[in-house]
Amino acid sequence: MPEWQGLVPVGSDHVSAAPVAISPEKSKSIKRHYRRSMGNAALFATLAAQQAVVESGLAAEILGNGRAGCIISSTIGSSSEVYESTKAVIEHRFNDLSACQFFRIVSHSSAFNVANFFGINGVQLSPCSACASSLQSIGLAYEQILAGRQELFLAGGSDEVTPIVLGSFRHLYALADSDELPPEELSRPFDARRCGLVCGEGAGILVVEEYEHARRRQAPVLAEIIGYATNCTGTQISQSDSASIEACMRLALADAQIAPDDVDYVSAHATSTVAGDREEAAAIRAVFGDRVPVSSVKGQLGHTLGASGGIETAAVLAMMRHGVILPNANLAAVAEDCAGLDLPAAPRQQPVRTVVKNCIAFGGVNATLIMRSAEAGA
Amino acid sequence: MTRDRLIELINQIFVDQFELEPEELTPEKRIFEDFALDSLDIVDLITGLQRKFGISLRDNKDVQQIRTLQDIYDLVEKLARDNPDLIAKLPE
Repeated sequence: MPEWQGLVPVGSDHVSAAPVAISPEKSKSIKRHYRRSMGNAALFATLAAQQAVVESGLAAEILGNGRAGCIISSTIGSSSEVYESTKAVIEHRFNDLSACQFFRIVSHSSAFNVANFFGINGVQLSPCSACASSLQSIGLAYEQILAGRQELFLAGGSDEVTPIVLGSFRHLYALADSDELPPEELSRPFDARRCGLVCGEGAGILVVEEYEHARRRQAPVLAEIIGYATNCTGTQISQSDSASIEACMRLALADAQIAPDDVDYVSAHATSTVAGDREEAAAIRAVFGDRVPVSSVKGQLGHTLGASGGIETAAVLAMMRHGVILPNANLAAVAEDCAGLDLPAAPRQQPVRTVVKNCIAFGGVNATLIMRSAEAGA
Repeated sequence: MTRDRLIELINQIFVDQFELEPEELTPEKRIFEDFALDSLDIVDLITGLQRKFGISLRDNKDVQQIRTLQDIYDLVEKLARDNPDLIAKLPE
């Protein structure tokens, strides 16, 4: 176990983080030549991308024909590698530094590691924007394809739980910490007793592809991206702002050329922080009222930071496929400041055709992606 | 005996850092062509040797001439002859 894992803050005997355990066998399924430049974030991204490539039936010739790109981002390259290498340099242990240290640390590490692994030689981008990183990656892939620059992308995000991230959140009173709740109930979006977020880690990678290109190669089409928008507050770096979140959702709806009434479900960012959930709830209420079901899967998964947009978009695709809306886990009593929304507390069977997915990030960043299920006409 | 121990320690670097099998490590093997190492790996080989033997190799011109595993054995043996401390402080 690396030393820094012992430094992960765990609240008052409560676990405020959910690290992923990857077996050495799983790691070694990626050849050393590729693995040597990967921190955990890039490793998560590569393993997730492998699943996406297999499920989509993508052949190596397509990925390497110059018309395929890779847009993957995280909060901080690999924050565990930042910690390890900084410590080694400060302690003058230069012989403990790997030649690949830089390649594990840099912000676009997941993007180039995945591109290198699959031989992708088109556009490579990494729009790192903390917790909006992967939704911006997917949105950017959509825009690049609309502009005719590429036929397809591996797009999404990845992230790690380390003291650099957790310590910062904790210092800002954003990390869940309660003596009254068991660890599995600490992440409770929109609930009256919510007290902060629980960090998770992992990766969510999707194949975003031009529609006719996907049809020609008979790829399984799960959904169509029909709208996207991103904006920022310009006034705040740490606080969510309902007016700018509302503006972002309205821009995305306009891009999709649909009305709020056309939407079946809102997949909220809602991280279980007091202020963040309040601001997003107000924005959703202003756009959709109480007509559209709203949930955040962070009650089940925790907040996977820069990976959350990718992972939660994959969750939306699963909801579309199964015709069920995942509930707000741990929602026992809706908070007064989140009232006036339809917030399912149990799984709800219903057609999930048109979905609004939000991500909100430090830096005042908002992103909204709108998808329509394959069955509904994709 | 000392030479055998040096070879054993050098081979250990190739097994631990480059995930090669011990039976692949014969002296005539070319580190770029046969082991598929590249320039990044050579940086790690240098730091691995420095760590293992407590020596400084970064600015050693002879390092640039290394082509085979035998070349590495010879280089470290030469350094050991010039620096008796290297042998005295060999890891267990």
